[in-house]
Amino acid sequence: MTSEFSDAHDELRAVARDLLGEAGRGRAAWKAITDSGWPGLEVPEPLDGAGATFAEVAVVLEEMGRAAACTPYFGAAVLGVGALRLLEPGPGRDALLRDIASGAAVPAVALAGDTGTAEPSFRLERSPRGLLLHGGAEFVPDAVEVDRLLLPALASDGEPVLVDAGPDAAGIRVTAQPLLDATRRFGRVTADGAVVEGDSVRRFAGHPEAAFLRLHDRAAVAVACDSLGLSEAMLDATVAYAGVREQFGRPIGSFQAVKHACADMFVQVTASRHLVEAAARALSADDPESRVAASMAKSYACEAAVDVAGKAMQLHGGMGYTWESGVHAYLKRAMLSRSLFGSPAAHRRRIARRYR
Amino acid sequence: MTGDLDEFRAEVRGWCRAHIPANWRRAQTGVSDAEFAGFQKTWFQELRRAGFAVPHWPREWGGGMPVAEQIVLHQELAAHDAPRLVLAFVAIHHAAATLLAAGTDEQRRRHLPAILDGEIWAQGFSEPGAGSDLAALSATARRQGDGYVVNGQKVWASGAAHADWCLLLARTGPEAPKRRGISCFLLDMTTPGIDVRPIRQATGESHFCEIFLDDVVIPRTGLAGRENDGWRVAQATLAAERGMTMLELAERLGNAGFRWLVETCTRPGPDGVRPVDDSLVADRLAAFETELTALRALCRDLVERHDAGTSGPADASVVKLFYSELLQRLTGFGAGIAGPAAHTELRKPRSSGWESGAWALDFIGSWEWTIPGGTSEIQRTVIGERGLGLPRDPGAGR
Repeated sequence: MTSEFSDAHDELRAVARDLLGEAGRGRAAWKAITDSGWPGLEVPEPLDGAGATFAEVAVVLEEMGRAAACTPYFGAAVLGVGALRLLEPGPGRDALLRDIASGAAVPAVALAGDTGTAEPSFRLERSPRGLLLHGGAEFVPDAVEVDRLLLPALASDGEPVLVDAGPDAAGIRVTAQPLLDATRRFGRVTADGAVVEGDSVRRFAGHPEAAFLRLHDRAAVAVACDSLGLSEAMLDATVAYAGVREQFGRPIGSFQAVKHACADMFVQVTASRHLVEAAARALSADDPESRVAASMAKSYACEAAVDVAGKAMQLHGGMGYTWESGVHAYLKRAMLSRSLFGSPAAHRRRIARRYR
Repeated sequence: MTGDLDEFRAEVRGWCRAHIPANWRRAQTGVSDAEFAGFQKTWFQELRRAGFAVPHWPREWGGGMPVAEQIVLHQELAAHDAPRLVLAFVAIHHAAATLLAAGTDEQRRRHLPAILDGEIWAQGFSEPGAGSDLAALSATARRQGDGYVVNGQKVWASGAAHADWCLLLARTGPEAPKRRGISCFLLDMTTPGIDVRPIRQATGESHFCEIFLDDVVIPRTGLAGRENDGWRVAQATLAAERGMTMLELAERLGNAGFRWLVETCTRPGPDGVRPVDDSLVADRLAAFETELTALRALCRDLVERHDAGTSGPADASVVKLFYSELLQRLTGFGAGIAGPAAHTELRKPRSSGWESGAWALDFIGSWEWTIPGGTSEIQRTVIGERGLGLPRDPGAGR
């Protein structure tokens, strides 16, 4: 990594941290985010994007994890732009990329968060009425209150495609799924024989199966980025608290038991960072080894984040267990992230296939 | 740059295939001390002829390899399971770092070429009463005439049985605060009054010695750095151990070490079942490979940041702790998978890394990483205090 490259990342990180620290939640935050151009980071420059790579998106995601931010960035930019960029170019695709970059469109991709095995949750069937879409996906990130849905589906010839549909189309239903993690929003998307026009079925470029797996890996690495940022926030908060909270007449951070627990958190966060950075690099470079790197980052960083947030709660003592302290929100986000887009065990199973 | 590195990698690969002795592991299992030392010295000269023995030294002394190439060199030596430089370790790392950082021109001219010719060094730092609290050491060096007279006892001096010279810490300022009264010396091991006795360790081997010093005279020219500045000199020396040497160990563990672990898990057991077909075993293997990947990235980062002068105060401690505990868990897992058969390997090949595939002995030997050079507990304290800025324990004397 050249220093110029990492300097640019440091700058992006600083801006993101300020913005997410101040913008608050909901629509105001999203307005500030689109004004900063983050949804268009990976949109090509001719389409009014920044022409950047996943490596830059990873920086934003990490800061969103750090702030436990509630924005549609994951659904619209990470998955939306990511899915569209895997498609064959065309006017429809290009217009939507342009709209995401400008903030005019906020789509979601109906990728099921509870599947470790990457297979589209929807299928297209031919019928006298035309093409019909069937299927359902749960735990779809940012599925609620979007203006476009991109539904990965198996075409009747068995090839993965992306169906572009309005969320209010007949036969398609989107319902919010209230979850313990209240910092993000997920939804259930079902299609019950929705009629699909031929021109809204978009083909993946190159090898469609591989493209769909890449989309899944992108989702997994993106969650790992969020977990990394979250871990860092919990470590920072814990170290700060241990430095000022006094018991037995001295800061609790001066006790070896507390200090060593913080050191272990730091080691886990550091190892997570290296794995997540490697996965983000591999993903942006289209490295053939990126699947393994993605599984390593997802399994390690998301498991570490639960450990780190759990230790944060423990070391904050009684205060950490209160609703008011907010540690619980991070712990819940970390726990959900650990389960999204492939559990640690599922990802390790994928890694272990290479040993046989 | 990448093209040049690819070329260099190909060159190292070719060299490895041509020069690494076939079956050296079997040949080095159960050998005598003298045979081990002979093998080590021969291997060192092989590496030296290729320019691979001291690539980390400055160019004028026979090194000067760019860091990116050193990384490739260690990766390839590890991938080809080359013998480790065990005997020369203290000489080419600790002694050389001390001489380069604090030595006089004369001391450098006297010792650096000699090290290349095979001069062996030991490290006389720890004492029975000064382990984790190294600054509490009590060996004394009293000024007398144009030199010093040293008395005391050193312990855990690795390779001291073969050493020509010893890097010694002794107290020259008995009245000063404990860190400000220590000096660093270059001690000729043939000096009268030195008694070296091997310590038999948990694995049954004797890598370490006790050194008894009874009125040992060191000339004035044997002082490294300024009098009473030895603590600072030693810190720089210890830091030298933690960069490229950790990268080498991480590459070994990640290459041959993990390869053997997978082999151990894919070999059918007495019941005909392959351990790897058990999903719990496969899961642990994947977790180890993940941690090894993180370890190797951590080490590359440590080396690159050290080279760029941007190291953090606890970076080396993070790497040492992560490596030591991973080594211990990985070798312990290997011993468990290998089962009773692992206990029939009564000796491991000398000149190998910390993982040799003799898992039971490797596991026992892993405490040689979690204890010396700052125990894992000390590393955690360093990470907490220097890395995270947590308050010191008011009870711990400094």
